[in-house]
Amino acid sequence: MELTAPLTVNWTLSYTCNFSCRHCYSRGQARPELPLERVLGLVEELARCRVLFVNFGGGEPLCYPHLWEVARAAADRGLRVSMNTNGWLLDAEAARRARAAGFASVGVSLDGATAEVHDAFRARPGSFDRALAALEHLRDAGVASTVSAVIHRNNVGSYRRIVELAAERGAATVYLHNFKCAGRGAENRTELDLSPGEWRAFYGDALAWRPRAPAELAFDDPILALLGGADPGAVKGSTCGKLSLHLEPDGEVTPCGFIPVSAGNLIDQPLDVLWSTSPVLRKMREKTPEGKCRSCGVYGECLGGCTARAFAATGSFNAPDPHCWAGNGRPQGGPS
Amino acid sequence: MTVLRRNPSLAWRDEPGARERILAALERSEDVADEGWVILVHAGRMHQLNLLAGEIWLLADGTRDAAAIAAELAGRYDAPADEIRKDVEAFVAECLSRGWLVAEDA
Repeated sequence: MELTAPLTVNWTLSYTCNFSCRHCYSRGQARPELPLERVLGLVEELARCRVLFVNFGGGEPLCYPHLWEVARAAADRGLRVSMNTNGWLLDAEAARRARAAGFASVGVSLDGATAEVHDAFRARPGSFDRALAALEHLRDAGVASTVSAVIHRNNVGSYRRIVELAAERGAATVYLHNFKCAGRGAENRTELDLSPGEWRAFYGDALAWRPRAPAELAFDDPILALLGGADPGAVKGSTCGKLSLHLEPDGEVTPCGFIPVSAGNLIDQPLDVLWSTSPVLRKMREKTPEGKCRSCGVYGECLGGCTARAFAATGSFNAPDPHCWAGNGRPQGGPS
Repeated sequence: MTVLRRNPSLAWRDEPGARERILAALERSEDVADEGWVILVHAGRMHQLNLLAGEIWLLADGTRDAAAIAAELAGRYDAPADEIRKDVEAFVAECLSRGWLVAEDA
């Protein structure tokens, strides 16, 4: 089904951040920020187009001075509001304000099972303890929480403990994100990213553990189709540009935060028009297989895997996902 | 009377354009059983409802029971009432078991 508008808008209200994480896609970039009145106008536009979910990211959303007002406006217009935060600023008062602002859930990043690993990845001593405390503040305030963990070389061996830490603090879902070689993630890829074979081993283990895990495990990697682990009912391949969009602080739209290619600007164009006419989004939806994808037996299931990773590695939306472990013409993956 | 209401915690959206395309395909006698026009998201997963399921979903607005929904659809689609009733009852039972619909006293 071709949608008339995205279901989810991932909204970077500001690139201001109190961290400098080693994997961050935002590459320390800055963008002019719209005045609050225009931002609230964009909330109205999302509501007009019946967007279901808005997720504030960044940058660190809690560094944005009008977060609560924008969130409240979105919630009042019927959108399901969430954010992803590093948790540093999420104290008891912020948790109460999140509840008052109508947040349906708040995601906290936890990228290591120990302070040593998490703090090194986040380049901020004390951030592990603050992230765990943030989850507790959310639980105490009655705000649903999730945890986001970017899987990398230094935490892949202990990802189960991350899930346990999250569950112990009330997080219902843990998103095990694939490592994106974009921005600083590209700069640190050699040190942090896994090999295709290691990704296969990780996903095989996580899928096997999933039914017994203490929290719901969620994945965002289309390459899971190689293991039969993609969620039925969702679109095939990347969801970016098919179900979701990324909105930048100045109204610029990109398919996702990891693909710095403009699909238009909501200051100039209505969202539904941009969604249905953007050539960039069309390319995201109508990929043409390149390289080993041309003769791969499972291309119809994964559609080349993560478009952001392919683009970051090669500059082409259509190139094979660099994490793909399938061989030329014959998928090598299978249930582990 | 026990009426059916959509679970308010579910996020959903209908796509009227998709519905029009399905109706046109139906006119051409094409198989539209797997063609969706209502999307709902539950527990982080997206589901698409086909023509009849989507119609039931929109009619489950807290003013009708399953019999009233079936009667409404039988008139709308000029279909055998008994057949529609069975389809409605089956879909409603599934939705109730999944927590997508709630039954409440009017």
